[in-house]
Amino acid sequence: MTDEPYRWLEAVANRREYIRDQLKGATPVFAFSRPEGVLLCGVGTGQSKVFEVYDRQGLAALGHPVDIEKVRQTLIEAAHLEGFTRAPEDVNVRRLLSFSLSPALKTSFEQIFAAPLIVESILAEVGATQAEDNLARISYDGSFRLETRGVLVAHTVSEDETAATDWLRRELRPEHSLAQVAHLALGAWGSLANGKPFAPPAAATTADGPIAVADRVVELALLQRRSPRRAAYLPVDPASLS
Amino acid sequence: MNGDFLALLPRPVHVPSGVSRDRHAVDLEATTVFAFHCADGVMVAGDHRATAGNVVFSDRTEKILELDAHSLLAIAGSPAVAFEMARTLQTTFEFYRRSQLQSMSLAAKMRALSRLLRDNLPGTLQGFGLVAPVFAGVEPATGQPAIFFYDPMGAQFEAAAFAGSGSGSGSIKSVLHFLEQWGPKPASLSLGPAVSLANRLLMTAAEFDTATGGVDPGRGEFATIKLLHAGGIRTITAEEQTQFWKETKP
Repeated sequence: MTDEPYRWLEAVANRREYIRDQLKGATPVFAFSRPEGVLLCGVGTGQSKVFEVYDRQGLAALGHPVDIEKVRQTLIEAAHLEGFTRAPEDVNVRRLLSFSLSPALKTSFEQIFAAPLIVESILAEVGATQAEDNLARISYDGSFRLETRGVLVAHTVSEDETAATDWLRRELRPEHSLAQVAHLALGAWGSLANGKPFAPPAAATTADGPIAVADRVVELALLQRRSPRRAAYLPVDPASLS
Repeated sequence: MNGDFLALLPRPVHVPSGVSRDRHAVDLEATTVFAFHCADGVMVAGDHRATAGNVVFSDRTEKILELDAHSLLAIAGSPAVAFEMARTLQTTFEFYRRSQLQSMSLAAKMRALSRLLRDNLPGTLQGFGLVAPVFAGVEPATGQPAIFFYDPMGAQFEAAAFAGSGSGSGSIKSVLHFLEQWGPKPASLSLGPAVSLANRLLMTAAEFDTATGGVDPGRGEFATIKLLHAGGIRTITAEEQTQFWKETKP
């Protein structure tokens, strides 16, 4: 079948359709470049969506838990091999994506006789300054883009993802605390998770109050800009921010 | 995906092979590191001197290395092999913690070090790659810090009160044994007196071992001292050591 170009294209298109269908119901994850560091946020039902990758790198992902695990392991193995072979300072988002994760995702996506990886993800890296933070949005087919404007959302519908990202950029202020940022993220999450086109949340989402979603687990992690240890990743208890 | 970082490497990293010892080769083995229980946890200390035969190679060497947030390695022996072992263990522990989403147990950390020492057997037997470290770690379940010492082939032994390694450790172990028997027991000492004891022990060792040095409080030169306790690792800075030294002056 694959020796016929048209059928191959059709098979790939079918895979996209299959993956999008499988991703329906998954809820978004967020990354914010802040003065304190990079804040990662996800909301789930028990399975983790936010992970440590290396000293300055973290991952937020949505999709099939087994496939998220494959992506996570790929990144962790590549980062540690690079850090051991050269130096921890040589591990960075651009190289992890260009030479490790992105080719692996693309290969998986195009091998049409094997199951594809059903994952949408954000890879984040904290820098010495906010301007040096790196956020990358990675798609299931291996394509990725680096984001320099400090906010990234990964969601299953690209139009809604863009709308939510734009709204968050407009709403966020440099003086916002991490709690206020988390409230905004949860506001956007609520709007995206209802399955309808994104609409800005009606309530004032930076208000005080518990950082929580009913019957869900809110996961927050901060890649600390100033860390006493080499590992910058710090899981944050939402209750401690409230 | 079993969390074993060494399995990712193409070949063992510590096995020199096919090299016979040159009897004129210069050894870099002399040093002094030790650990003892004190009231606040386990104190791990070392001098700063690295020697090559009768040549002082460096007086600014750091021999007490943090492997992760809850374990320390005091290295004695061939620096090239010892530093590489420490780097391998740092990566191994962090790789396991990140990939398995849990910290490695203290027993597994000890065995990881044993494995590296065993892998280094050819170097040990050839006489140029000997490493005899002291390891201190916290058992996550109990929060209790413990001290272990190793023979160069990887056998591990837990120290009830103290352990030492390197050419100057004989003097230090004698003094610590004396204190254990006739007091005051080091385990009863609070942080300040324990830090000053560590510096005095290294100065004592330096009196009898030319390969121990780099500690001279009169010139503001203090040992590398780290305190391991249930909450993690605390590095005792030179400023703190200066203060403790003044406070405990006889």
